[in-house]
Amino acid sequence: MGHGKYIAPPQGQYQVQAGEVLNLQYVVLPGESRDLEISVDLVGPGAEAHIKALYLCKASEKVRFRIVMHHKAPGCKSTQLINGIAGGQADVRFDGTIVVAPDAQQTEAYQENHNIVLTEEAKVVTKPQLEIYADDVKCSHGATVGQLNADELFYMRSRGIPEAEARTLQMLSFLSPVIPAGREEEIEAAVRSL
Amino acid sequence: MDKLLEIHNLHARIGDKEILKGIDLEIKPGEVHAVMGPNGAGKSTLSAVLTGRPDYEVTEGSILYKGQDLLGMSPEERAWAGLFLSFQYPIEIPGVTITAFMKAAVNAKLKAEGKPEMKAGDFLKLMKEKMALVQMKPEFAKREVNVGFSGGEKKRNEILQMALLDPVLSILDETDSGLDVDALKIVADGVNTLRSPEKSTIIITHYHKLLEYVKPDVVHVLKAGRIVKTGGRELIDAIESQGFDQF
Repeated sequence: MGHGKYIAPPQGQYQVQAGEVLNLQYVVLPGESRDLEISVDLVGPGAEAHIKALYLCKASEKVRFRIVMHHKAPGCKSTQLINGIAGGQADVRFDGTIVVAPDAQQTEAYQENHNIVLTEEAKVVTKPQLEIYADDVKCSHGATVGQLNADELFYMRSRGIPEAEARTLQMLSFLSPVIPAGREEEIEAAVRSL
Repeated sequence: MDKLLEIHNLHARIGDKEILKGIDLEIKPGEVHAVMGPNGAGKSTLSAVLTGRPDYEVTEGSILYKGQDLLGMSPEERAWAGLFLSFQYPIEIPGVTITAFMKAAVNAKLKAEGKPEMKAGDFLKLMKEKMALVQMKPEFAKREVNVGFSGGEKKRNEILQMALLDPVLSILDETDSGLDVDALKIVADGVNTLRSPEKSTIIITHYHKLLEYVKPDVVHVLKAGRIVKTGGRELIDAIESQGFDQF
């Protein structure tokens, strides 16, 4: 990903050849509306692709993730983890499809999308899909839309951690698997602004 | 100050269900009180109301802590004032280490007292010392709070937090449930080490085990939302031999 200021990889189409590894990481900060359309074709045996994304919304942002992970060759591996927090009147939608072609035996493909909704007005729709045409594959997908855990919040407050700080700790721990190295402080500041 | 805690005619409910139906209880500094009662008597509701759980509603009565209106304070303000609850079912917090959790708690209290935050090195030294008290291995400092802990480890972690926060009034809610004898002794030793003439403890339990190790000064029997009997340690034996039906 280079040094210094983080630059988001362009959205669009990627082809991953035999033995190559593609890493994509996206960050959508409060105030940004984004429509991310990402299509990855794993075309050579043993190719790998890993996508991580996080989004934070607090106003009336519109954020779309449209991801197609196409396993076209055998022995490829893909992972996707998209975690985000929607506040305000945000409108978030995740459409993620994993396609495993008939020839793509020994595929390993995983996709997860987890969302926390902070307000009644924020809206999150998540639609993970699998299309599997091979039989020797390991695939899983999962999606959750929830709120900050009230029991955790009370536990922290009962120990003297102020409510706002407790919420920040919860949100940062939820996001931690998708926070890019070197951007911790920036993300923390954005979380505090929610 | 002759009274640390004064509960008068406390009524509380969760949803539409009234659980506490007029509790009166006074605790002086240095005293250990046991609150015993059958399941469903309202023991855990009492601890929830004392610590300010948002889902419980107090409909009548008052609680004074050090002469202050406790019910007007947020859960975190109660913690800063020296109140501590050892949870019956400690909560797991994935992604937050015990060290980060307790550092945030200790520093929040210092901040509320207008004192500077602890230096990282000093805090780690304190953690190490208190972890030794409850016989927790040093590697637990880096573990996520209660995630993957055994029942005994969770309860020891509660007592560790108690030791770090140095509370004035500790409430141990069924701290003995699910503990084997060795873990029970470790927990009891920790509690006894933290006792002092200024500090008080409420031990909530439905059986006598922990009370063999931490000797209460006063024993209350809680039944159907009311304290139906108050006495000394002789009540523990009476409950042990004849159960709660006699009250």
